[in-house]
Amino acid sequence: MMLVTRPNYDPATRYLSAWSLVLIEEAKKKGLTVIDLAYEKARRSEVEGRLQKTNPDLVVLNGHGSDDCVTGQDGEILIQAKDNAPLLKGKVTYAVSCNSAVILGAEAGKYPDTAYIGYEKEFAMFQSRDHLSRPLEDPFAQPFMELSNHVVTSLLKGHGASESIKRAKEVGKTRIYSLLASNADANAQAVARYLWWDVQCLVCKGDQEKRAA
Amino acid sequence: MSDSQNTKIETSDEEIRKLIIARLSVLSSDMQISIGSDGSFSRDELIDHVNANDDIGHKIEEIELEWMRSWKEQATV
Repeated sequence: MMLVTRPNYDPATRYLSAWSLVLIEEAKKKGLTVIDLAYEKARRSEVEGRLQKTNPDLVVLNGHGSDDCVTGQDGEILIQAKDNAPLLKGKVTYAVSCNSAVILGAEAGKYPDTAYIGYEKEFAMFQSRDHLSRPLEDPFAQPFMELSNHVVTSLLKGHGASESIKRAKEVGKTRIYSLLASNADANAQAVARYLWWDVQCLVCKGDQEKRAA
Repeated sequence: MSDSQNTKIETSDEEIRKLIIARLSVLSSDMQISIGSDGSFSRDELIDHVNANDDIGHKIEEIELEWMRSWKEQATV
């Protein structure tokens, strides 16, 4: 079972929400039950209740964050260190969120049989203003979303947490080399630099071998 | 620290800002960057933040410098 939060109230969450639909489809194709907490359902009470009642193997948290928390709709804190982080015990969590691996991820990673994949610094992403209403068609965002989605794709294939981020990073690096080959394209060069940042900041805390499927 | 040393450091920071602004200035005007919960910024807004030497500007500098550091490290391995 996979639980996904998909807040949607600004460009960043709109993109993460849209690109998570791809993952939801993929999980369903593999026969997984998906709890999709989108928009107003991406609230703390809803997330806490679903985590307690359904105990999903894989938790994907999209949204803004900080060192010690990940937020949902309208910036409401969903999971916070020294508060309700124990809800992540025994699960693989992937937080597409800034900084949350630092404290929240470190705390969750201390629980037995638990892995927390996330970012130690800001998650950066380019967007094209011409595609803001069509995130899945945005060529500037695609490399960043491919990197992020590949973490979940690998987990769904049965790879462990550490192996999944390794595979995602390889996808990111391959894209970076391809972008760098576009010598004349300043946009591509910039996308490569910021994609590199995301690759560097992606980490796994806790049980490195933990599987979600 | 002497005044001359202070001047040297400030000049270096200014040169870094100029380099980063030069990199940003060649981006398409339809590009924007989302950086965490700080929001999304157009090319010109990013340049303004780097010029203002504020928190967003510092994040941009950190990302650009990380790129340069990483490749320098790989080149020297």
